[in-house]
Amino acid sequence: MRSDSKLRRSVLLGAGAAALVAGLGVGVASAAQTVTLTETGSSLLYPLFNIWVPHFEKAHPGIRVTTQSTGSGTGIAQAIKGLVQIGASDAYMSNGQLKQNPGILNIPLAISAQSINYNLPGLNGHHLVFSGPVLAGIYSGTITNWDAPAIAKLNPGVKLPNHKIIPVHRTDGSGDTFIFSQYLSFSTPAWNSKVGYGTSVSWPAVQGGLGAQGNPGMVEALKGNKYSIAYVGVSFAKQIDAAHLGTAKLVNRAGKAVLPTAKTVSAAAAALGDKTPTDERISLIFAPGANSYPIINYEYAIVNKKQANKATADAVKTLLTWASNEGNAEQYLKQVHFKALPKKIRELSAKQIAQIQG
Amino acid sequence: MSKVKPFRLTMAAVALLIPLALAAIVFFLARYSWQAIGFNGLRFLWTINWNLGNLYGNTVMRHGYEVPPGANYGILAFIVGTLFSSFLAILFAVPVSVGAAMFLSEKAPARMRPWLTMLVELVAVVPSVVFGLWGIFVLVPLIANWISPAITAVLGFMPFFNMNNSTGSGYGLLAASIVLALMITPIITTTLYDALNQVPRELRESAYALGATHFEVVANTMLPTARVTLIGGIVLALGRALGETMAVLMVSGGALNYLPGTIFTPISTMAAFILSQLDSALQDPSNMAVKSLAEIALVLFVITVLVNAVARLLVRRTINARNA
Repeated sequence: MRSDSKLRRSVLLGAGAAALVAGLGVGVASAAQTVTLTETGSSLLYPLFNIWVPHFEKAHPGIRVTTQSTGSGTGIAQAIKGLVQIGASDAYMSNGQLKQNPGILNIPLAISAQSINYNLPGLNGHHLVFSGPVLAGIYSGTITNWDAPAIAKLNPGVKLPNHKIIPVHRTDGSGDTFIFSQYLSFSTPAWNSKVGYGTSVSWPAVQGGLGAQGNPGMVEALKGNKYSIAYVGVSFAKQIDAAHLGTAKLVNRAGKAVLPTAKTVSAAAAALGDKTPTDERISLIFAPGANSYPIINYEYAIVNKKQANKATADAVKTLLTWASNEGNAEQYLKQVHFKALPKKIRELSAKQIAQIQG
Repeated sequence: MSKVKPFRLTMAAVALLIPLALAAIVFFLARYSWQAIGFNGLRFLWTINWNLGNLYGNTVMRHGYEVPPGANYGILAFIVGTLFSSFLAILFAVPVSVGAAMFLSEKAPARMRPWLTMLVELVAVVPSVVFGLWGIFVLVPLIANWISPAITAVLGFMPFFNMNNSTGSGYGLLAASIVLALMITPIITTTLYDALNQVPRELRESAYALGATHFEVVANTMLPTARVTLIGGIVLALGRALGETMAVLMVSGGALNYLPGTIFTPISTMAAFILSQLDSALQDPSNMAVKSLAEIALVLFVITVLVNAVARLLVRRTINARNA
């Protein structure tokens, strides 16, 4: 008898809890007047999205956007699975991935670049020159000293220290590793055949090499280790300057050494802009032209053509159109040192965005 | 009318959930990594070259499996990194923990004791990412500038303790081990402290009656009584150390494709490597990369179970030896 009443009580309790949950559900449903979009992925695009979102939401009160920094691979995977509406990625999708998921679009949102930085006592104020083959040599352990002939040849008249180089690479999957290893692959056949490119590569075992987590980890590793060299996303330029680290000039396809500036990044983007195909998947690395900076890339939104419903599809279209046009205004981009998309690319993007449906 | 026993049934169901969840995890890991196990074979365990292959090339067929060109998965370096860092951590943590537990139970002023115990327990609840941050900003520079030169000066004649054979950056095996040691010290300390408190009063009074000093009472009477619990605590701590991910990832230097030549060399542990590679592995159209990561998880699980089993065997043998 007693256990019966206990049972009844617990059943009642359970029913009460169920009612409460149902009630909450209704509450959420009726409050959901606005469309919520979720963006996840690239840690390089993340700061820009955070600058964009308040301005976008003010202009479009019906749409809310949540952002998350998880990594490019995660962004692509979650957009494919439909867990998020927009996956952010520094790297475009591979042919293999696209073959498996033909309904996925790669839409450029802005142009980013990467700097090669170093911590060389006494020389951080001096822009040392590096070429793809020399960097490939450093990262595969064939060039081990700062005063090696290959480095000295690119920097005549500079007194280089006789000290071991500490090459720093990313341990997490990263768009920065993707574009850096592409620069090495496109400029150095030996690197291309032995290591190749990707968001993670099988780094050759370099005596004295070091792995770091994320761009903040790269800056930290540079600061903490004299005689180190690393590749860092250009949106971290402020931190690099604050730490008084050196920024390298890189040898481009035309054989000229250039710094990452507004002019050289735009020149590279213009050089390859005309070659951008309709699906907009193209590498901008090692572009031709005397003024072209060799390591730049499109930052992509990875989006499924088929969205859950019309309201969501419309919201995604609105956001992407806004981002690649109004969002490309200098006032937003300059904060993260990104560059605006050329007009022709924006037209290609508009055609892709038009394919998104509910 | 048969009696309904809701309490018993509910409890049984809840209790069953735990082994069921464990079985489900093992089943999932084995099933998901099945293809990787077939593709990698035993090479997986004793080669050190890990290469995701060209994720932007067309996949190729190798040994009957579809993989990216150039893909090769060998995890010996991560197994070595995991075991080295965990055992070093135990080596650092046990003396400190035993000392701390002895102090807490014997020498700490009675009024201070609850506060001190709470402080030790607080260390156990610090999130691992906080340990990682502390590692990057405090421990790593400390190792680079002070600890490495000191160890090299004293033990440098052995190549394994000579910083000149490594980056000298501070990131590496030693940093990972010290961070791990800090994280597991409270686990060992509190288990031992509880065990020392449960040593029968008669036992220690008899020891005093025989003329033993305070130190002799603690070292010769109380510690042997608590030995089984101490080993249990160490096993628990070792389990934590083997699987610790975030803090290790932040200070280990992320080694790839080589074994640690010195105590200062960068390493990677299995858990940390799974986390750091997952994002890129997700881009593999053949999925073999993610499956190989799942296989690492499976191997890590097996190692943890093995370590536990060996430790239990040790405990049983100790008990038997004492009873004999």
